[in-house]
Formats: sequence, structure tokens, C-alpha cells
Amino acid sequence: MLALRPFNLAKAAQNICIRSLSTPAPSSSKQADPNAAVEIDTNAPIRRDSYSPFKVPAKDNMFEFTLARLDDVLNWGRKNSIWPLTFGLACCAVEMMHIAAPRYDMDRYGVVFRASPRQADVIIVAGTLTNKWRSFKKRYDQMLEPRWVISMGSCANGGGYYHYSYSVVRGCDRIIPVDIYVPGCPPTAEALMYGILQLQKKVKRMKTLQSWYRR
Amino acid sequence: MAKLIGLDKLANYFRVIKHNGGILGSIKTLLRTDDLKFGTLVGVDKLGNKYFENNLYFYGRNRWVVYHEKFGLNYDGSLVPSEWYGWLHYKTDYLPHEDPGRPKHKWMIQDWSENLSGSDKQYVPYGTTRTKVEGWTPPK
Amino acid sequence: MLRGPLTKALPCARILSPVKTLSTSAINNEKFEVFIDDKKVMVDPGTTVLQAAAMVGVEIPRFCYHERLSVAGNCRMCLVEVEKSAKPVAACAMPVMKGWRVKTNSEMTRRAREGVMEFLLVNHPLDCPICDQGGECDLQDQSMAFGSDRSRFTDIDHSGKRAVEDKDIGPLVKTIMTRCIHCTRCIRFASEVAGVDDLGTTGRGSDMQVGTYVEKLFLSELSGNVIDLCPVGALTSKPYSFTARPWETRKTESVDVLDAVGSNIIVSTRTGEVLRILPRLNEDINEEWLADKGRFAYDGLKRQRLLTPFVRNCQGQLIATEWEDALIAVAQKLQTSEIAGVVGSLADAESMVALKDLLNRLGSEDLYTEYPFPLEGSGTDLRSSYLLNNKIARVEDADLVLLIGTNPRFEAPLFNARLRKGYLTNELDVGYIGPKVDLRYDYEHLGESTDLIKQLASGSHAFSKKLACAKKPLIVVGADLLSRPDGAAILALVQQLAAKVTTDANVSSEWKVLNVLQKAASQVAALDLGYKPGTASIRDKKPKVLFLLGSDEGTISRGDVGQDCFIIYQGHHGDHGASIADAILPGAAYTEKQGTYVNTEGRAQQTLTAVSPPGLAREDWKIIRALSEIIGEKLPYDTLLEIRDRLGQVAPHLIRYGELEEANYAEQATELAKGVSSNLSSEPVDVKQKNLEDYYMTDPVSRASGTMAKCIQAVHKQKQSKYYEEAVN
Repeated sequence: MLALRPFNLAKAAQNICIRSLSTPAPSSSKQADPNAAVEIDTNAPIRRDSYSPFKVPAKDNMFEFTLARLDDVLNWGRKNSIWPLTFGLACCAVEMMHIAAPRYDMDRYGVVFRASPRQADVIIVAGTLTNKWRSFKKRYDQMLEPRWVISMGSCANGGGYYHYSYSVVRGCDRIIPVDIYVPGCPPTAEALMYGILQLQKKVKRMKTLQSWYRR
Repeated sequence: MAKLIGLDKLANYFRVIKHNGGILGSIKTLLRTDDLKFGTLVGVDKLGNKYFENNLYFYGRNRWVVYHEKFGLNYDGSLVPSEWYGWLHYKTDYLPHEDPGRPKHKWMIQDWSENLSGSDKQYVPYGTTRTKVEGWTPPK
Repeated sequence: MLRGPLTKALPCARILSPVKTLSTSAINNEKFEVFIDDKKVMVDPGTTVLQAAAMVGVEIPRFCYHERLSVAGNCRMCLVEVEKSAKPVAACAMPVMKGWRVKTNSEMTRRAREGVMEFLLVNHPLDCPICDQGGECDLQDQSMAFGSDRSRFTDIDHSGKRAVEDKDIGPLVKTIMTRCIHCTRCIRFASEVAGVDDLGTTGRGSDMQVGTYVEKLFLSELSGNVIDLCPVGALTSKPYSFTARPWETRKTESVDVLDAVGSNIIVSTRTGEVLRILPRLNEDINEEWLADKGRFAYDGLKRQRLLTPFVRNCQGQLIATEWEDALIAVAQKLQTSEIAGVVGSLADAESMVALKDLLNRLGSEDLYTEYPFPLEGSGTDLRSSYLLNNKIARVEDADLVLLIGTNPRFEAPLFNARLRKGYLTNELDVGYIGPKVDLRYDYEHLGESTDLIKQLASGSHAFSKKLACAKKPLIVVGADLLSRPDGAAILALVQQLAAKVTTDANVSSEWKVLNVLQKAASQVAALDLGYKPGTASIRDKKPKVLFLLGSDEGTISRGDVGQDCFIIYQGHHGDHGASIADAILPGAAYTEKQGTYVNTEGRAQQTLTAVSPPGLAREDWKIIRALSEIIGEKLPYDTLLEIRDRLGQVAPHLIRYGELEEANYAEQATELAKGVSSNLSSEPVDVKQKNLEDYYMTDPVSRASGTMAKCIQAVHKQKQSKYYEEAVN
């Protein structure tokens, strides 16, 4: 089994480069393969992106450092249990359902649909927001802070296909503040997933305690 | 016989641990990817992400990517370059460098760029609607 | 012009003496009883059925009838049954007789209405969804209320509906003549109120058309009112077309400030944008009319606006800045007592009192208005010298008016409408001193010389006899005339003349003969607050800092104060003032702030906030208040109520909104005027606005307005028309 071989990244990378260089694709033109051009500097020391977005050195200000770490803990908890409200309005809702299904399996990110705005952290506006639905501001108002909004699909982003309709709100950001816009008509489940990951990224940057202290 | 009493499962278990660099390495991988697998390294892309395949696993889980370590925990699907996307999503069984009929468009070889949303360099769409009030500009 | 026949046509029993031919009971002025739906009501002779019904609160549907116009009686919508009468009668035109029993809800009445409505709708297009009148259409409402509940219309091939070509009658009024139901309200308005006999009907029966006879524009300073009068969507507003439905808009009651009449208006807004301006009923000022400038210049509020503060940098270029930087830059310059302030024509009383307090605290007393006014004699100390003392509404009671150096048609169109109303219904005679202008009614032109005033005052002129014989004479002087260098002498002469007329004609003390017609909405409030009129003394003083509060008339220029002078402009439009300024503070226009304005008759009124100021612009008094804090001379008011308290301290009538504060020291003013030593110059009496094209652009808002520019173009176009003839009186 190949996988049992002691793993050497450098070797493997070289192998790939060499292999692709030595055996050019028969039918394709003489253009260099995009992969072939890649040279990975494997000798350079790997500099990991740090987990925390708050770059507060401990030696400068111990107190602020502590707050930053506390914020990290808080955000870690929040970002890993983003519970959306079931709010499917149109065809986007089907894609929203897909992220709950096994293939994309949103549960692994701690994303669990809730049927009540009082238990939800995020509202995914999935579909055409018609004028009659303007009252969904109430749903948003019922949600507890901190709360977020993901606008899914062109219709929710800006009216989309129905922008010139007499009965459609031209974008849900006219009613509630949107954090993440997911483009597409409808966006794939993967795109929505990416949107949720972006929201996680945003949550990670929240400065709850630090801004409280600043004030 | 060994299969019957599940010894192969045990063997795979050790292979996984070995593949991930021992017990400590396995714990680290588990922390980072929430998953422990073993498989063949089939390629590395220009960002250094490694692509594995192991047909021992069920279809749908038999191809996966391990992002380069420099991304730490801040990885997402956009790190997969377009040439690897098709293989990873079962659009094709050819690896990018082994695919003879693959089209080569300019947009396919553009470099990965970070999603800058939320930073000060984020993309802000410009409005095309006319402003309701036209301002006065001082004469030059 | 139509004077005789119209007098008979007007139904209003209050205005007219009873017309003798109506009935025997009309001769003795006793009230008699009639019954409307079995409710007894005592009415004067000559009252129409419709008026009698209104007294008991029964509203009879109508299209052609309008309270302020003559009765036409041609729409037949007001048909009601009268007991013992074989046919239904038209309620708007039929005077009630003693003991009549009117049934406004009987079977006959209902069927009559249904029939009339059916006839109207036969030739009315079903285009309500694309009609601008939709939602405020009398025909829509009344067909719902009184029309038949089913249709007998079977012409599905659309072969027979009447179609009429649309007319181009100007840049303000859009016509869709197929919708016209021939109520003739617009025709009657044009000939009676506006005094323009351009509109009329041609053809008969189903060929009848309302139009201008020949290809011609309907140009009048009051033309916009036909839009409100039109009960259907035949005449709609061109600038407002396809903009909004009435139920979508938010209405804010406000006051027009583009002339000194202070017409009451309703500002319709949606999503922070002024969509249109409509008149609001106020019997004391504008009745239900509104002049075109006040109605259509609102698009000027969206152009040429100052959105951010500007400060001139070292290269001499105005640079947009934040409030903080601008206020600090201005505050640094204001550390001196050599400051002068000039207020413009659109400033509200709150900002004026704030500016006055600020400059006084800094040790300056140099606060001026843009428009000059004579300071000799009583000057501006006595309000009777600068007010329209006799109230706007009472003008129609006068029997003789002498206009001196004013063109009320363009300086105050609604005041002129009152004069014309008096001319039509009250046998008002008008004398006029000034250049020959078209007032849309006949007047006796006395000449242009200032000597005429002297002759009149001494009684040697022929017109003096008329003045002496008049029961209710009025003298109206234009503010422009008094802003001449010899204004003091003119004012003194006019005061003498007024005093002489008062004694000669033996008018009651209630009746104020002397009236001054102001042009600027802020002038009366500024003079009440103690601002000095005119900017002449700034040229002599050469202050180090000049604070312009919305002064855009160009009465003061950079050359007057020198290059060293730091000019601060606070206002809402980039006009003359902004172009000479070193620092610009963006303020709010009259639709964007709650401000106090005093009209030419001395009535304090307030505008309300219809939309928020655009960009970084703020309410004017708040800017001055913020500036005072940075200078270190904090003004003691933080809220609107507090600054209005301060207004009340300076001049208590400024916060008694809607009430008219009369001036009562006319005699003393006349006494003081005797001491005026300056001499009359021989320069002839002139007015600035002579023709219609001079009317449309007079202030920063209307100068920025595209609609007003189109109006001026239309007037020029009209002049090239072969049907144009110079109006001659």
C-alpha cells in the first residue's frame, strides 16, 4: 500500500512535478501545465495563520491580552453553534435544505435549524422576500443578541429576478441588517455553506469584551 | 479469516495512526480536520494542499484534501484551485496533470486570493441609482 | 374683462347682495325654512340647495361645482329630488324656495345620479391604473359611492369611446384630454381667479373639447391650481407625473417661504424625498390656492445642494471637510468682534435669533438683512412701517387700492388673486404708480413719477378725490421701492398720504390704510428680531469676518469687504453666497427643518420637518449653537423649545403660531416720519419683476429648479407664437 510508505512531502511534490513534466499530455498543446509550473518551496519554514484574529502581544498589555483571549473563547463558542431559523421563502429554501442533508451535513459545524426565532442566532433569508413578508422584521426582532442575517440568493440580496415586481422587496437589507450575502440564483448548497463559514469568520472577529472594556 | 474476525479493521486503524504521524500527530489532525483517514497522496496543488484518495472508503468520502499547514484552522473550500475542483467533486476521475482533454482558459490559472470580506479591503459594490439630492461642487 | 355677468353668476350669498330676480322671498332678507331629508334648516334667501344641504351636513356629489368659482351647473351630478317637482333639480344652481322638501337619498335621486354617472363613464377611459389622479380622483370615488353596481357597457371592440387629442399647455400641467368630463372648472378658474382667458370649450355634445382654442400655452403664475381643481385625471402635474400614489406618501403641513405671503402648504414625501407640494386651506392667507413657484420649485431642493461643510485651503480651493474641522476652522476666525452678519430671504427666525445672540456675545452689533429698508423716521422700530397692516384676507373688502412701486402679481401672486377677487365681486378700483405692467385686471395708471405721491399727499392730483370718497381705501407700497436711496422720503410721503386718506375717507380705526408688501419670507421676522435692514454699512465698516446666513441675492460681494475678510456662508444652496465664501456650513431648507417664518402681514407660522436634511447638512440654529460652544460662548439653548423660549423673549408674537400680531403705532410712525429730511429723487418708480419670465426664479431654491427654468423657456416660446399678443391694459 502506497499510503503505508513513510510520507515525504518534498519527495511527493517532486514526484508530481517530474511526472507531469516528463509525460506531457499527448493531445494538448505545448502550453505548460498549470500544475507543472508550480514549485513549492518546501524548505521554507511553515508559518501558520494563528487562530485568533486579535493580535495583542501579552508583553504589551496583560489585561488586554486576557480580554482578547476571553473573546476568543466566547467567539469559539458562538461560531461553533450558529443556529439558523428555518426561513425558506422560495427555491433557495431547497438548497438550504441540502446543507442540512448528509452530503453537506451542516451539523458538523454546529449549525442546527431551529423553528423559533427565540432560539435562533442567524436568520437565513432564503428566497424572494415579498412585500407581504415585510412583517418578518418581527421575527428578527424576536431573536436574541447576538444575531446575524445571511441573505441567500439574488432575490434576497437585491430583488433579483423580481426586482421590478410591484410586490417584492428589493433586497432584504432594506428591512434588516445583513451580515453575509450569498450570491447565486439559487446559490448551491456549497455556496451557502461557504457563506456560513464566512459568518463563522466574522463571528471570530467579534470584540465583545474588548469593546466593552474600551467603552 | 482475518477479515472475518475484523482484523483488517484493526490493521486499518493502525495505518490511520501511522499515516497521520503517530498518536500525537493523529490527535493534531483530529483537532484540525475532525477526521482521521489514510490514503494515497495523489497530488499537491500550487498552494501546497494535498489530495488523497483511498477507495477503501465509501464513494463520496474516498477523495479528500488536506490543506497546507500554513492555513492552520483558517481553511475553507475556496483554497481548492479550479484544476483540482473537478477531481475532488467527482466531475472527473482524471487528475489535473493526467487529463488530456482538459481545456485551459485564462481564468483557470488565476491565483487564489483571500476572501477579503470584513476587512478594510473588502469589495463594496458601487450603486447605479441616481442620488436623490444633487450636491453643489465648488467652482475650480 | 368679465366683470358684469360674472357678478350675477356668483352664488355666494355672503359676498353678494341678493339677486332680485330670484324670488319674492329673496327681497326681504329674512331667513326661511327648508327641509333637507326632513331635517329643518333656516337659510338666507338665495341659498342654493347644495349649500342648504351642506348646512345640515348632507354632502351632495358634484363635479363642476366649486365653492370659489362661479356656478356652471353642467355636470348634473348634484341632481336631487324636490318634493312636488316632476324632475330632479341641479342642487348647485337652484336656489331653495320656502318650504321646499329636498330628498337627497330618495330613489329618484339615486337613479338620477346613477344615470349621470353612467353617461360620464361612457366616454371616460378605464385607465385608472396608469392615471396620476388615481387615489385622489373624484370620479373614482363618486362612481364607487353613487354609480351603478353593474355595467351596461358592451362595446368590447372599443369602437365607440370618445378620444380627444392631448394639448400642450405648458411645462407644469399635463393634459390627457380623453379623461376630461367637461366640468369647466379649469376654464372658470383661469378666467375668474387667474384672469387668463386662455382656456375654453369648443364643439358641442360629444364633440365638446376643453382647450386653448388655438395652439397656445396656458401660462399664468397660478396655473398649477387647475391640477387640484380637475376632478379627474385630465389635468395632472407634469413634474409629478408617474411618481407616486397619494396613499404612499407622507404629508407634512408646512409653510411656503418662496414669497412673503406665507402660503400654507402640504409637503408630500416618500423615502426621504419631496415629491410634490400642495396647497393647504387657510382662509386668511391663501384660501386653497398656491402660486406656481411655491408649488413647483421643489425640485430645486434636490439640486445644487450643499451636502458637506467646505473650507478654503491655502491654494484657494474649497475642500469638503467634516463638521468638526469646519467648525474649528470657523471658530478660529470668529475670535474677533469685527464680525458682521447678513441674513438672506429664506432664513428662519430660530437661526436668526441664534446668530444674533452669538454675534452679540462676541461683541458685534452688525446684523443686517439683505433687503434695505429706510431707517430714518421711525425706521424699523415700529412694525406698522413694514407690515401689510390690513391683512391679506381683508384686501377683497377694499373699494379702492393704490399700488405704489409694486407688482403684486409676481411679488405675491395670491395677494394679487385677492385683489382680483375684490375687483370682480366688490367693485374694487385700482390705481397704480409704477411702470405699466399686466396685473390681469384693469387699473388706473397714474404714472411712474415719484412726484405723484407728493401730489396725492397734498391732494392736488385728480386721484385724490377718489381716495377721499372711498369707504375702504388701501395703499400698498412695494418693499423694493422703499429700498431705494430715497426710500425714507417715499415712506414718509406715503405715511402722510395714508394719514390724510384715513382722515379724509373717515375710515374706521380697524381699517389700516398703509400697507407694505414684502418680498422675502424672512424679512419681517428679521426686522422684528432687531436686524438692521440693508447691507450698505458693511461696505463702510469692512469687517474681518462676514457671516452670511443664506444670503444669496448678491447684495454683498467679495469686493465690498476685501480679500482679507473671512466669509462664512451658512445655507442650503450653492448660489451666490457659497461662491464667495471661505467656509461653508450646510444648512437645511424649509422642508427640512422646523422653523418660524413671519409673513408680510405679521403672522408667525412654522414649517415642519418633511424630510431630513441631505448629506451632512443640519438644522441651521443647531449649527450656530454648536459653533458657539466651540468658540466658547455657549448659547443657552439646546432644544427647539428652549430656542423658541428665547424667540419669545425677544418678540413674543414670533411663537404665537397662526396668529396675526397687528401693529398699532401707525400714527406715531407718521409723526416720526415728519422729521425725515432726505429728498425725493426724480428717478421713476420701478418694479423688478415686470413680466412672467421674471417671476419664476427669484431665490436660491427656484434658481436651482429645472421646472422653473422650463417655465421661463415656455414663456419665451410663447412670445414667438403667432397667437401671442402683448397684454395691454
